[in-house]
Formats: sequence, C-alpha cells, structure tokens
Amino acid sequence: MFSIYFRLGLRNLLLYPMRTGLTVLGLGIGIAALTFLSAMNDGWLQNMKLNFVLTQMGHVQVHSKGFEQSRRITDYMADTTQVDQALQSMPHVKAWTHRIRVSGLASAAGANASVLVSGIEPEKEKKVSRLYSFVQAGEWLQVGDKRGVLLGDVLADRLSVGLGDKVVLMAASPEGDIASEVFRVRGLIHSGVMDVDNLLALVPISMAQDWLHLGDGVTDVVIRADTFTAVDTIVKHLEGVLNMHDFEVLRWQEIDPMAEQWTMFAEVYTWIVLLVVIVVVLAEVLNTMLMSMYDRVREFGLMTALGTRQGQLFAMVVCETLVLVAMGGILGFLLGAGFSLYFGHYGLDLSQYATAFSFMYMSPIVYPELTFNGCARILIAAMLGAILASFYPAWKASRLNPATAMREV
Amino acid sequence: MSEDMLLQATGLCKYYHSGDSDIAALDHVDFQLKKGAFTVLSGRSGSGKTTLLNMIGLLDNPDAGSLHIAGEDVLALATSARANFRLQRIGFVFQAYNLIRVLSARENVAYVLQLRGMPKKERLNIADRWLSEVGLDGLENRRPDQLSGGQQQRVAVARALACEPALVLADEPTANLDSQHGESLMHLMRDLNERCKMTFLIASHDPVAMAAALQCVYMQDGQIVSRDTV
Repeated sequence: MFSIYFRLGLRNLLLYPMRTGLTVLGLGIGIAALTFLSAMNDGWLQNMKLNFVLTQMGHVQVHSKGFEQSRRITDYMADTTQVDQALQSMPHVKAWTHRIRVSGLASAAGANASVLVSGIEPEKEKKVSRLYSFVQAGEWLQVGDKRGVLLGDVLADRLSVGLGDKVVLMAASPEGDIASEVFRVRGLIHSGVMDVDNLLALVPISMAQDWLHLGDGVTDVVIRADTFTAVDTIVKHLEGVLNMHDFEVLRWQEIDPMAEQWTMFAEVYTWIVLLVVIVVVLAEVLNTMLMSMYDRVREFGLMTALGTRQGQLFAMVVCETLVLVAMGGILGFLLGAGFSLYFGHYGLDLSQYATAFSFMYMSPIVYPELTFNGCARILIAAMLGAILASFYPAWKASRLNPATAMREV
Repeated sequence: MSEDMLLQATGLCKYYHSGDSDIAALDHVDFQLKKGAFTVLSGRSGSGKTTLLNMIGLLDNPDAGSLHIAGEDVLALATSARANFRLQRIGFVFQAYNLIRVLSARENVAYVLQLRGMPKKERLNIADRWLSEVGLDGLENRRPDQLSGGQQQRVAVARALACEPALVLADEPTANLDSQHGESLMHLMRDLNERCKMTFLIASHDPVAMAAALQCVYMQDGQIVSRDTV
C-alpha cells in the first residue's frame, strides 16, 4: 500500500511545481545552513578536544590521590612503578610520560613573573603532546641538558629574556622550603593557548626532581590514547589495576572544568541546531501541506467514499510530507555537505578572532567536520519535523465527511 | 428482509439546520431495492435524491431511521467498518471530480482493487479488462485531464464495477455530459446491469437516465411520492 502513498505524494507535489519548488528551495537552504553549522560545531569541538588533549593535557592523567584538587607538591607520587607496569601492555595506550607540575616564580634581570613549571621527559614528551612542535625559536630540550629551560613567548617577553639568557626559577619543595635554581633559555614556545604562552616553563624532569628534592617522584603520569573513545576503557582498566586509595585516574575533561563545560555546551548547541531544524521544517512544510490539503478536499472526500480508511488517508498525507522534506533534505544535504567538505579541506580562516580562540584551545582556522552522526541527527530531526508538520493536515484530511467534502468547490 | 431484497431503508430522516429552523432533506423515507434492479431516483434539485444516495452509500449519517444492505445493519457499523463496507460492497459514480487527477485511467480503476489488497499484476489485468468493457481500449495510461468528460465517467463506471460490488450508486452521472455521451453512458450501465447482474441506483433528473430505468422513484421535498416500474 505504501507504494501508492508515495506515488500519489510525489505526483501531487509535482502537480504544483512552483509551490513545491519554493518549499523545497526554502527547506534546502535551511537544512544546508544547519548541516554546515553542525559540521562547524563538530569541527570546532574536535579541534578543541584535540588541542586541549595534545597541547599538554593528554587523554588521561594519573596522580597521587587528591593532587588535582590540592595542586600541592607534597601530594606527589614517590613511586610510579605500578602505573608504568599497568600501562606497559595496556591496549589503546599510544604513549605516556612523567611530569612534575608546580607553581612558582621566575626572575630575570629585575623582572619577575609567576610561572607554571613543568618538569618533562624530553623524548617521551614528544610522543604524548605537541609541545615540541610549538618551539618557535631555539630548540627542544636535549637529553642530558640539565639546565635548559623552554619558556612561553609571552612569559619571556614579560621577563625580558631571550635565547641564552639566564632565568631563576623558584618553587616550594615538599618540605616547605623555597628552592631556587638557575636555568638558561634554550627555546621559546608559542602555542596560541594563553595558559601555555603566558605561564609555562619547561625544564628537564631530572633537574626538577633534584631541585625540588623529589627523588624519583613525579606529580603526573600523562597518557595519550589512540582515540577519544578509548579513554573510558583505559580509565576503567587503570582503576581496576591500581589501588585507588593511593591514586586518582582522571579523564581529560575532568582535569579542566572549562573543557568539560565546552563539551557540554557543544552538546547543548547540537540540540539547539536540531530544534531549529525541526522548526524550519515545520514552518516551511506546514503551510504548504495545509494549502495542498485544502486544495484537495474533494479528492480526499472521493478517496474516503471509495473505501480509503482514515488511517490510510492519514498515512498518505504523512508520506507526501516525507517526500517533500526528502526532496528539500537531499538538496540541503548536498549544499551543506559541499560547503562543509570544501571548508573542511581548505579551512575557514577566523584569525582575526585568534585571541578569543586561544582561551578555548581552538585554532583560528576552523575545519568543519562532516560526521555520520551529525548528518544522521539532522536527517532524523528533519523527518521528525516533517512528521510533526504533517500531523495536522493529515488529521484534517482523515476526518473529512465524504459527503460534505465532495460538495466543496 | 427477503432473499431477493438487497436494500431496505425505513423511516430515514435527515435534517439540515438553517437559522432557527430545521429543513428536512429526507422526511421518513421508506425505500427498498431488489437485487439486479436498475432504478433511477428522480425529482427536482433539492428533492433529496443525493441525500438519500449519500445515506445508502454510507457517506453521511441519517438523523433517524434504519438501513439494511445485504442483510447487514450498516448504520451500526463503525467508521472504519463503513469504509470497508463501501470498499467491498458499493461502487460509486459521481457527477464530477470523479477521478484521482494524478493517477492514470488504469491506476484509478486499480486503486480500489489495491485498497482491497489485490496483487499488482492481477489488479492491472482487471483494470484493463473493465476499461475495455466500457470502451476505453488504448486510453489506459491517460490521466483524467487527458480524457473527455464522457471518457472520465466511463473510467468511473469501470472503477465502480471493477470490485464487482453488490450495489452501484451513481449521482447525476450524465449531468456534465452532452446528450449523446449521456445516452451512451446510460446504455453502457444498463448493458452492464443486464450482463453482470449488478444492482444500480441512479440519482438523476435527466430524461435519458429515466428512459433507461427499469424502475423510477420520484422524490419531492424529501419524500418519495411515487414509484413506477417501466
């Protein structure tokens, strides 16, 4: 029976090419815009997540219990053997590294600035984060170079230091003493992320351990997963292996509330886009279908007289609406997907807003990402809108009294 | 109801409201129809012919009275059961706007068969056979706007008969046709009545229709005033 519904629907739509064409065009433009917006959103979110994770955070971090909350150096991990052994053969772990993270003060030639000191393993760090790729002057830390330091370029400006200059870093040791050490600037890094460029000082982990009297201790084990979807698996695995009275295992979005909020916002934004899709489809289609229904009152009366049941007439109008939305949807998807793929390849340059973007770990060039999920969401929303839009005209058509309907002119 | 009786209506009433008063479109009508009849309901415009036809065709509800078709109390049927009864037992030919405009002649005839759930090949064969029967060979793929008024009415007759209904109701089938096409259509229906033993009830004040009738029933002011057997 559905074949006749769709055949009738399509032919009735083609009976009024101008009206159908304008509706399809309106729907197409609306769905194209929303497909592109959705792809932008997915691209932004993906870009932000990747930047957030790969700039320095990693997908998963292991700390001593309570460290993320306290950020006190006293809460360091004296021994990471258990963590390292667990990670050794764990699936989905691409790489991991150790770090020491401590807040401190940098002094140079009479200028002072607060810093976030990060003691790193230079070679392992390359496999976990993108920090080494941000070196814009000088070079990455070399193995064995105990006094080398890399500074964020804005921090270096504030301290008025350049390559080869000396910098004194001061921080509290676990015993509560203020310890200081002299380093020489080997390189400057620029990531576009404020937290990194304004605050970060990278030093060799072995030097940080000596300077802060930590022995072999570290504050972070930073893990890079092979995909975002593997994060939960890794966390569950670690929680099963480690003694959770001594350790905390945190996902990337748990480490920084901003990242979590942005992820949640992106979800909300997605729902807003879907809601707009439904409203666009409703507004475009309802009017057309009502006009079509009132044009064909006699025809619906005739069909009822011939023995078409109410449910069949209802389904007929719903099918016609779905055909109309499918035509607009295909046009919209082609346009929206075309724009998304084009800008996904060449990027959309929003460099003039780079400062604002740097707050959010976002690259100023946005690459819209056309995902199956994104397309499916819009398709489902469009069809839902179509079904909603068809309900009233379908209900009206199915409730017509055939004798009265056939008297209509 | 006797064996050879197809339809029995008793005390049918239908009122339309106009201002503060009710106008009786049907006023306690008693009406019977035998199987194989070819009856014309005649009378002036507004006499109640179409209203009676709509009641018998289950297209509208009477305000009072009873109606039995083929032994079934059809007024007791629910909406969907009525639709099914129309589909299975009644064929319709209306005055105008008789066909679904986006379907071809063949598809229009096959539509009712499809509603009955008949397989495609079978229903298209039957549609072609009935179109041939009403003299529309070679016009099967034409849409209504590509057919003349007379040809459209013939398609409607083919559609009404394709389901082999117990009763065919025709409301002013010749009203939009010239006299030649009107006469031809009435001859066709009379011929089918004789050959296929189907029962026809036709509402018409066209002399051509009355001339073809085996029985004429005259209506006036919502009442049956006389019955003539020709």
